[in-house]
Amino acid sequence: MPEILIVAEHRNGVLKKTAGELLAAASTLAAGGKVLAAVLGPGAAACAGELYAWGADAVLAADSPALANYSSLRWTRVLAGAIAAKKPSAVLLSVSSLSRDLAGRLAARTGGSLASDCTGLSAAGGATTLVRPILAGRASITASPAASPLIATVRPNVFTPQKAATPSTASVETLAVEENPADLRVLVKEVATVASTRPELAEAAIVVSGGRSLGSADAFKIVYDLADALGAAPGASRAAVDAGYAPHSMQVGQTGKTVAPALYFAIGISGAIQHLAGMRTSKYIVAINSDANAPIFKLADYGIVGDLFQVVPALTEEFKKLLKA
Amino acid sequence: MKIAVCVKQVPSTTAVIRVAPEGLDLSGVELVLSPYDEYALEEGLKAKDANAGSTLTVITVGPDGAAKVLEHAFALGADEGIHVKADGIDARGAAACAAALLKAAPADLIFCGRQAIDDDSWLFPGTLGELLDLPHVTAAVTFTLSGAEAVCKRRIEGGEETLVVQLPAVVSADKGLNEPRSPTLKGRLAAKKKQAVVKTPADLGLDEAALAPALAVQSYAPPPAKSPGKMVGGNAAEAAKELVRLLREEAKVI
Repeated sequence: MPEILIVAEHRNGVLKKTAGELLAAASTLAAGGKVLAAVLGPGAAACAGELYAWGADAVLAADSPALANYSSLRWTRVLAGAIAAKKPSAVLLSVSSLSRDLAGRLAARTGGSLASDCTGLSAAGGATTLVRPILAGRASITASPAASPLIATVRPNVFTPQKAATPSTASVETLAVEENPADLRVLVKEVATVASTRPELAEAAIVVSGGRSLGSADAFKIVYDLADALGAAPGASRAAVDAGYAPHSMQVGQTGKTVAPALYFAIGISGAIQHLAGMRTSKYIVAINSDANAPIFKLADYGIVGDLFQVVPALTEEFKKLLKA
Repeated sequence: MKIAVCVKQVPSTTAVIRVAPEGLDLSGVELVLSPYDEYALEEGLKAKDANAGSTLTVITVGPDGAAKVLEHAFALGADEGIHVKADGIDARGAAACAAALLKAAPADLIFCGRQAIDDDSWLFPGTLGELLDLPHVTAAVTFTLSGAEAVCKRRIEGGEETLVVQLPAVVSADKGLNEPRSPTLKGRLAAKKKQAVVKTPADLGLDEAALAPALAVQSYAPPPAKSPGKMVGGNAAEAAKELVRLLREEAKVI
């Protein structure tokens, strides 16, 4: 029976929702085998209950102050140790700033095969098959890992977390942390995050993005208002970011973030290839644009041609009415 | 100081690529230096400018025409260009080639792009670091050299983090790290006198196993075709109301 290992991310003991998605993905690959969840850093052990609730069969925690600050080398050493001990056939991480840094090194250390940004994972007859986009989504490949384990980063919002019918009651295993000074050749010294009540763009279920047609940073208020009415993350096209209407952290597209929410609003966005690369796998796309010929309408499930400054506030009011009821 | 930059030639971001199940048709497609590699190259040039006596070596791995990106690097001021001639190898094989070169001629600073925009694998920087037993930083948006270490910032969810990395190190570049320069006429003329060193993986002592791709591709597919969407008409208030109804009752996403 293949065992599947997921690497769960958390912040000070608060699990990220992507951990549940990874557990769902892992259970499709495990085919009856065990799903293991590794969780690293201070507060790791506090995540165990939730990991079991979302279907982990065993939790491996490295709840050590030596992991308080991220170091790709130290993380790799801990995870490579777990992989050597458990020999999973696949290791799943969610696409994040952490996994972007870690996965390539982990694959090289373990001799595994890296597949980034997977949008599909399946197992049949002991073989693992994955689907991932290439060329910024202009094509995708179906492939299998050439070497074991498969180290896969999985796009958020692709898999749906499933509550375990009978959560595992296994005790939490402690992962050894070997403090090799050479691992501190790279170390995070400072983390500066802006407190926000809005969901993280790459993980949000709904994204509301604005484009250059908004015309100014002030005009982006209609984007924020609609996003807040829906509990959505606000986003922006590269053209809007380059024009200074929104910060780069909001950029969706090839040189920004990739999102795959259940619902994506493209407001005043024409639909350049570079933008489509970041949002084309959204389940439903709504385009609102004054230009009926904008390419974004070719990709949209629903479209409104009209004045953004009339349509968007009207939409915000409608959603407020609906969601209050 | 010795500086190396690893670069790759890729189809341009706007190229229309025909996709068949058995592969991609890249004939007639414009090939360019991968955009993130432009930032890597610029950072290498800045480090060379700031540290007298430095040399900048630019490495690329790819088929015959791939060496064109080295001409660009020469025009910008690269001292040396190495083209490892190999076709059909992925980022893991490319990292093996670069690692073999950099083991033979170590560099203090190695820059590359955070990802090549063709396979989008994000595999190269960490793998190269591991093969050379050097630390790496992924997707730096700032890079400041300070003695035997460098301070980098990278974007994280909801903010940014500051890392300290000891040299020698591999640093991959994100958009925003710098503003890449353009070649000058003088640079272009000087470039004509420079010749890339051409090597094969066999010259580097690499066998087929070292160059084996990470993934066995079974098939390629274009993005799924979308059926035409529904246009919602009427004035702003009517259209808003109808759209909300459709999202609620038809798409069931609200």
